[in-house]
Amino acid sequence: MLEIKNLYKNFGSLKVLKGVSTSIEKGEVVSIIGASGSGKSTMLRCMNLLETPTFGEVWMEGKLLTPVDPYLHPEVIKASNTFKALTAQGMDENAAIAKIKAEDLLQEKHNKEGKEYKALMDKIYKENFIDIDHARRKMGMVFQQFNLFNNKTVLQNIMYAPVKTGIEELKKAKNYNKETKAKLIADSKERAEALLKRIGLADKANVYPSTLSGGQKQRIAIVRALAMNPDVMLFDEPTSALDPEMIGEVLDVMKELAKEGMTMVIVTHEMGFAREVSDRVLFVDNGNIAEEGNPEEVFSKPKDAHLKDFLSKVL
Amino acid sequence: MTFSSLLKGMWKVISLYWKDLLGSGIAFTLLLALIAVIGGVIIGTLFAVGRMSKLKVLRGLIVAIVEVVRGTPALLQLYVGYFFVPAFFPAMNSLDPTLMAFICVAVALTINSGAYVSEIIRSGIEAVDKGQTEAARSLGLSGKDAMLDIVLPQAVKNILPALGNEFITIIKETSLASTFFVGELMTKYKNIVGVTYDSVSTLMVVGIIYFILDFALSKGMKTLERSMKAHA
Repeated sequence: MLEIKNLYKNFGSLKVLKGVSTSIEKGEVVSIIGASGSGKSTMLRCMNLLETPTFGEVWMEGKLLTPVDPYLHPEVIKASNTFKALTAQGMDENAAIAKIKAEDLLQEKHNKEGKEYKALMDKIYKENFIDIDHARRKMGMVFQQFNLFNNKTVLQNIMYAPVKTGIEELKKAKNYNKETKAKLIADSKERAEALLKRIGLADKANVYPSTLSGGQKQRIAIVRALAMNPDVMLFDEPTSALDPEMIGEVLDVMKELAKEGMTMVIVTHEMGFAREVSDRVLFVDNGNIAEEGNPEEVFSKPKDAHLKDFLSKVL
Repeated sequence: MTFSSLLKGMWKVISLYWKDLLGSGIAFTLLLALIAVIGGVIIGTLFAVGRMSKLKVLRGLIVAIVEVVRGTPALLQLYVGYFFVPAFFPAMNSLDPTLMAFICVAVALTINSGAYVSEIIRSGIEAVDKGQTEAARSLGLSGKDAMLDIVLPQAVKNILPALGNEFITIIKETSLASTFFVGELMTKYKNIVGVTYDSVSTLMVVGIIYFILDFALSKGMKTLERSMKAHA
């Protein structure tokens, strides 16, 4: 469903992700834990390209979200001038690929790797890429700071994206007129109201976010993402900015979602929650996945020394 | 000079010159400020959009213009406008000299205000939390939609009060235009003093008029600000 391959992310000289790979299956609930600054939020934000990875690829339902990373495709490396130069010196093919990968030898600038290489890169990209705006419509995201639209009421917050993207789809299908637009708005409104009712905030439909508590804001942010009918939900520390008494109400909504079979990736500091709802837990340390497994293994029998240390501090 | 003689002098200035000189001076001052601010908003918006463009050359050019305008005296800019605008549009030399001076000064003031307004708009947009854009983008909306539907409506609330301040500043800066006798309030001061030789009383009258204009405007902006805050 969602796959990241060998992701690197540098902020200037700071290397935050150092070659992370994992794959999220449909219906799976994955928690990402780790100390502050370990790169777990960056990893999540790379999944829907709010951060652009420096190297590596992100795939969503068989479609490529990022540019092609040549180092992940042996056939691309083989088409390069660098590879040809190395093998011409009598180097073994596999050894040449390994050397190119290890020493980052491909020089893409000014077409130094030749036409064949470029054509292959373009071909792979054209066959697989998906427009990021379209991909994001299938990936809901919930932020630490809620990020409800301050200039819109609660109902408008939830309806905005479905209506806006719906109109775009209608126009594309050459089926945009008064009736289809009215139907789209009515449907979106009905759905938004149903979602609000579900989290018990139907009475807040017409107020502005500034009047709401943190817990209410976050629950609305969750249903705002759900209004797009996403296939996967990404949660970036959804309870870290909340007062303690409001954490429960947000976690309850998430638990319910997990029970319904939603695919979820959750960056969290709530270890009890991670242990309870996750199918798999990733421990991120220093830009890498240091340990992963089912919650029982990770929390009860940690192997990694840093994980042991981390758990002893937070549990 | 006693206080009562000052008051008498001021009253004389007002009663003798209100109709012919001061009234039209106020009109010219406001007209000049209005042209500068409206033109400044148009130029400033273009500049602000240009600064977000992907073209490095365009961005560099705009930054250079803004920095030059901010880094040189307004009076100098008016001189530059006064001498350069007719040089570029020779047809203007056939106009009435006062009208020509007015146009030149208006152009210079507009560019001056455009530079400041572009900074106001840019900082107003930047002051909107980045999370707002991220939330919109994460829902699958384009950068353009996020800007137009989410960021700009919020930025306007930051921009309008600062724009009011710019208007107030420009009203005061129009006084520099008196160097070229374009007919605004400060020019009228020079005209009146040329006849009465009573600079102190005239200055007081003109100063009070400037103060009333700016004070009323600033009160008006405050009310507008409050009503906007009440809305969200």
